[in-house]
Amino acid sequence: MTESSVKKLSNGDRCYSTNGVKPGKNGCVKNHYLYKKQHCYPEEKIYHVEHNGGLYKRPFNEVFEETPMLVAVLTYMGYGILTIFGYLRDFLRKWKIEKCQNATEREEQKDFVPLYQDFENFYTRNLYMRIRDSWNRPICSVPGAKFDVMDRVSYDYNWTFKYTGKVVKDVINMGSYNYLGFAENHGLCVDAAADVTMKYGVGVSSTRREMGNLGKHEELEKLVARFLGVEAAMAFGMGFATNSMNIPALVGKGCLILSDELNHASLVLGARLSGATIRVFKHNNMQSLEKLLKDAIVHGQPRTHRPWKKILILVEGIYSMEGSIIRLPEVIALKKKYKAFLYLDEAHSIGALGPSGKGVVEYFGLDPKDVDIMMGTFTKSFGAAGGYIGGKKELIDYLFTHSHSAVYATSMSPPVVEQIITSMKCIMGEDGTTLGQDRIKQLAENTRYFRRKLQEMGFIIYGNSDSPVVPLMLYMPAKIGAFGREMLKRNIGVVVVGFPATPIIESRARFCLSAAHTKEMLDTALRMISEVGDLLQLKYSRHSLVPLLD
Amino acid sequence: YICIFFKCTLNYLFPQVKMNVGVAHSEVNPNTRVMNSRGIWLTYALGVGMLHIVLLSIPFFSVPVVWTLTNVIHNLGMYVFLHAVKGTPFETPDQGKARLLTHWEQLDYGVQFTSSRKFFTISPIILYFLASFYTKYDPAHFIINTASLLSVLIPKLPQLHGVRIFGINKY
Repeated sequence: MTESSVKKLSNGDRCYSTNGVKPGKNGCVKNHYLYKKQHCYPEEKIYHVEHNGGLYKRPFNEVFEETPMLVAVLTYMGYGILTIFGYLRDFLRKWKIEKCQNATEREEQKDFVPLYQDFENFYTRNLYMRIRDSWNRPICSVPGAKFDVMDRVSYDYNWTFKYTGKVVKDVINMGSYNYLGFAENHGLCVDAAADVTMKYGVGVSSTRREMGNLGKHEELEKLVARFLGVEAAMAFGMGFATNSMNIPALVGKGCLILSDELNHASLVLGARLSGATIRVFKHNNMQSLEKLLKDAIVHGQPRTHRPWKKILILVEGIYSMEGSIIRLPEVIALKKKYKAFLYLDEAHSIGALGPSGKGVVEYFGLDPKDVDIMMGTFTKSFGAAGGYIGGKKELIDYLFTHSHSAVYATSMSPPVVEQIITSMKCIMGEDGTTLGQDRIKQLAENTRYFRRKLQEMGFIIYGNSDSPVVPLMLYMPAKIGAFGREMLKRNIGVVVVGFPATPIIESRARFCLSAAHTKEMLDTALRMISEVGDLLQLKYSRHSLVPLLD
Repeated sequence: YICIFFKCTLNYLFPQVKMNVGVAHSEVNPNTRVMNSRGIWLTYALGVGMLHIVLLSIPFFSVPVVWTLTNVIHNLGMYVFLHAVKGTPFETPDQGKARLLTHWEQLDYGVQFTSSRKFFTISPIILYFLASFYTKYDPAHFIINTASLLSVLIPKLPQLHGVRIFGINKY
């Protein structure tokens, strides 16, 4: 029938009430659930913890609570009313009763074929414009744990903004991807980067193959390889370009790409550019992936039934819109069973997961050599820019010559490279301090504390209990704008997302925790979130928190 | 004035500045999944019920007239929103493949006989049965109700996918 967030949940809707942990027949993908309660309703989501005989060495706790039906109906009503009012306003604008603030064609051009379709702009001018002040807020300090926001006011309902000249100081930053707190403008990394700028300049505007290859780049690549535990690595200037330009170098026509439903646009673009056949499996659903793998190997290519040249599985470490962590042990087991290749995009999970920050592979206690291509970005946890790919030496040598980014793109800027080198050494502990280790521990504690408190308060939170990305469900379109504005009034900056970036009823506010957040900041934030939650009636959750076994 | 126009043009030219914050996901056209989401069938049924109750509360309409009116207004609304309005109310990353398609044609990317298509085909038929019963099969009401039902059933046929008769509503 209709879809719901239950389908997003783990493998299947089976409800076992046994509790023996038997290893599966082939040693791979059978999962056994250990339930807290005796009965289980398929619609009611219960907290369940998985312990699989050999694959998972730690509990995997991921919940996507279902949307309450009343909330769904009210959300649709909200969108319906907004649509009707949108049509009414468009009518008024057309008949010149109301002034049209949007760009229109000149009178002389009205008879020509129109340049744009009005209807495509409907959502922007009627819905987005009304709550536009929750996005693109100008700031005037470094976006660390706290930042300063410029105050702005609008007299024509957000069509134009005017600055009042005041600055709202010390707004708690819950939106930046600042997982380890390296977004700062004082400290070791910054000094090192400044020195390097003096020595190397701001950049050689040339590609790596011509004049742009500096000693710093080679040093960075060796360091990244050592950090990840792989043979070799290669760094690129843009995280998006790392994905979109390297996947076409690895697969082509006659290959198969199995990509997760909620993969980022860079992965999707790279997959499309490569010319391979793309098949999508349900988000984090290992049954769906196994079925696709089996079908692909049994039936081969579509018309000719020849075997596929390569099968590449594209997954991400942490999905930032859902806060879910990929089931990596099962993916690797599947990959080994069906002899496919695995491309892991650790954009959000590198530095944020794992006891020493080495990403989702370390989090599950797996061997990095099992993942064929480890990709990640330096933007989130290292406070820099760019992306990397790590793997076997032959792979990196091949990419050096065949990848579009390597051959044509400008090389990374030396201060950025130095920032990455310093922060990576800090995380690994090689700079002599325990700063990196402290930050990783602080992030893990912050994550656990924040998520637990929010769940106790009664909000609906998506995702894995260890992921530092916390989506809080808002559902209704009016609450998106209200939440953003109320939080700013209370000096907390949040990111809110709505349709069409998320499914229509699942608009959310997304908190990104940071090691730079102290407990006091989190307590303040939680208090304010609770206040706003009571004001806007956001505490939808119908579960009371069951104490976990550990 | 010029800077307002310029800013508006910028907004018009770069409408990626939207709620697509920090994500660019692979669902190319969200319009295709709207009718499958949780609770929308219930909302639709409640909406029709609401319409009916509002019409019933108008004092000078008799029950047969109210049922025929419900049927006609529902079918008119369904025709306008599912079969007349084309394209998407937001920009999609597929360079406008769905710009000339009505919402019905966009559902599930054109796959026929999915569950939401079946639901939206059956619901005007049920409404028609109820209207015929409550109007006691009166000839005038019958003609109106049948014409209205046909106007909303014929565009749903899979043979008419993408067909524009006499070029009406083509661009």
